[in-house]
Amino acid sequence: MAIQAPFDTTADVAAVEPRAGWVPVALAFCRRRPLGAVGAVVVALMILVALSATLIAPYDPLTVDFGAMLAAPNATHWLGTDAFGRDVLSRLVYGSRTALLVGFGAAFFGATAGAILGVGSAYFGGRIDLYLQRLMDVFISFPLIILALAMVSILGNSLPNVITAITIPMVPRCALVIRSSALSIREIPYVDAARAAGFSHGRIIFRHMLPNVMAPYLIMLSAFLGQAILLEASLSFLGLGVQEPIAAWGLMLRGAAVDFAETAPWMAIFPGLAISLAVFAFNLFGDSLRDALDPKLRTL
Amino acid sequence: MWKYILKRFLLMFPTLLGVAILTFILLRIVPGDVVEARYAAGQGQFLDQKVMAMERAKLGLDQPLWKQFVDWMWGLVRLDLGLSMWTGAPITEEIKLRFALSLQVAVMASIVATLLAIPLGIAAALKQDTWVDYVVRVFSIAGLATPSFWLGILMILGFLIIFRWLPPMVYTPFWVDPWQNLAQLVWPALAVGYRYSAVATRMTRSAMLEVLREDYIRTARAKGLWLKLILVRHALKNAMLPVVTVIGLEFAFLLGGLVVTEQVFNLNGLGLLFVEAIARRDYTLTQALVLLIASAFIVVNFLMDVMYAWLDPRIRFR
Repeated sequence: MAIQAPFDTTADVAAVEPRAGWVPVALAFCRRRPLGAVGAVVVALMILVALSATLIAPYDPLTVDFGAMLAAPNATHWLGTDAFGRDVLSRLVYGSRTALLVGFGAAFFGATAGAILGVGSAYFGGRIDLYLQRLMDVFISFPLIILALAMVSILGNSLPNVITAITIPMVPRCALVIRSSALSIREIPYVDAARAAGFSHGRIIFRHMLPNVMAPYLIMLSAFLGQAILLEASLSFLGLGVQEPIAAWGLMLRGAAVDFAETAPWMAIFPGLAISLAVFAFNLFGDSLRDALDPKLRTL
Repeated sequence: MWKYILKRFLLMFPTLLGVAILTFILLRIVPGDVVEARYAAGQGQFLDQKVMAMERAKLGLDQPLWKQFVDWMWGLVRLDLGLSMWTGAPITEEIKLRFALSLQVAVMASIVATLLAIPLGIAAALKQDTWVDYVVRVFSIAGLATPSFWLGILMILGFLIIFRWLPPMVYTPFWVDPWQNLAQLVWPALAVGYRYSAVATRMTRSAMLEVLREDYIRTARAKGLWLKLILVRHALKNAMLPVVTVIGLEFAFLLGGLVVTEQVFNLNGLGLLFVEAIARRDYTLTQALVLLIASAFIVVNFLMDVMYAWLDPRIRFR
């Protein structure tokens, strides 16, 4: 049980240095890092599209129209239709929901679990640290896609399972980076002070150490976003990710899109463009965020 | 130095053992086994429990788990990977068939990546925050964002529509017909190489930027040394370490991680074998492949650490 401190250790810190509001901070970010701002705008647009998919999409993404199979882009179907006569644009719009859900879900859970493990590992040190690190080494030895594939075949391929399968390979990668930041934080006397005050391990880890690894955490999170979307697209393309008839970009590139690529190239071109644009935007934003927060940290 | 290398060498084995245990457990959590997969694939077969039990016994699947694991490990110690549970052929043979292809694509992709990444990365670092830097950065971020399988689809589509030509679909070994071989494998190597080069370009750029700010570069410039000489002798040499690491690790991943691109180009490589093996619940083959891919990574990692220690004495005395 945690022993309550006689004073609140966290409340005063924020009061001493008044923080700038988020609007000036965002403006400064845009001015100093135009590429990142472009990425942020595209990401914001994508989120908007995903949220208002029901309003924006001209057709139901699941409605099959055998009268308009493989129709080329025209006035009624702006980006053409697929082998089942489903509107490609509508499926792209709804596909953004799948991509963002998997992207944010996997990146958030992966980075968070990684941060907790990384900080915990650094805080406890000694044997726990050693064993955790060895375990992480084992997980990192698998290529991302191989581990995700294995996970999907264990868990099955519903949307939550795909998210979990993509989350798991991200955890050790994040834990590694966060641990190295947390190691230096552990040396700062306030951690010893917190221990001397009798705080529980949990409280020290969550309230005192985790907030101080926010910068690498956000950086890893934003780096994972793009990777998770790519990974989901790859899994779905292999037929092992999200399943038909859910609209997902990787799934749209599978099967008929390749078989009929010569006669109906729009089926193969647009979903790929959507994936690339999404990941590109996330990476632009993530990169600039990293440069702004911690120029020394390298992510791929 | 030797003590460090030995220590680092011995550290590889717990990791490998961990990989082996993890793979072994993961595979057996998956519902269904090779016998069920086979009967589900066969037509008109009804599931006769007795026959299935016999099949399992033949494959040793009726043994307790620890026994199966010990048998596998004992085989590994004698460098015997065993037989594929699906085809019954020796796993070494199954892998040998695909290894040449995967290795060649990985080597070619690394060449593409290195040739692109090093000049681009250096140029971007030298001209930081100018249009050169922006173009290189956008080019490399786009490389990270473009799925290589989609790039592959676009390539094939382009050939088909513009040139009415398709890359050969059947693998020809390089020494049999180099042209035929390259005509098939250059494209996947380019598709994968672009993404790979993006990773390496970014590393080259950031490593160069870091090194260029070091005091010894300023000293060299103050001495009035020829700029090119400073770049090659002092900056590049020191910046190359992380770059080589990234290229090495990506190479190790490429050996087995080409799963999706192989599908697009219809290549019968290790990635495809892996997907098939998982789908067929071919435990022995999947285990062997995972261990192969993971050990490639672990060995490259080891070599990189040794190289670091060799080049930077501070590491080995820590």
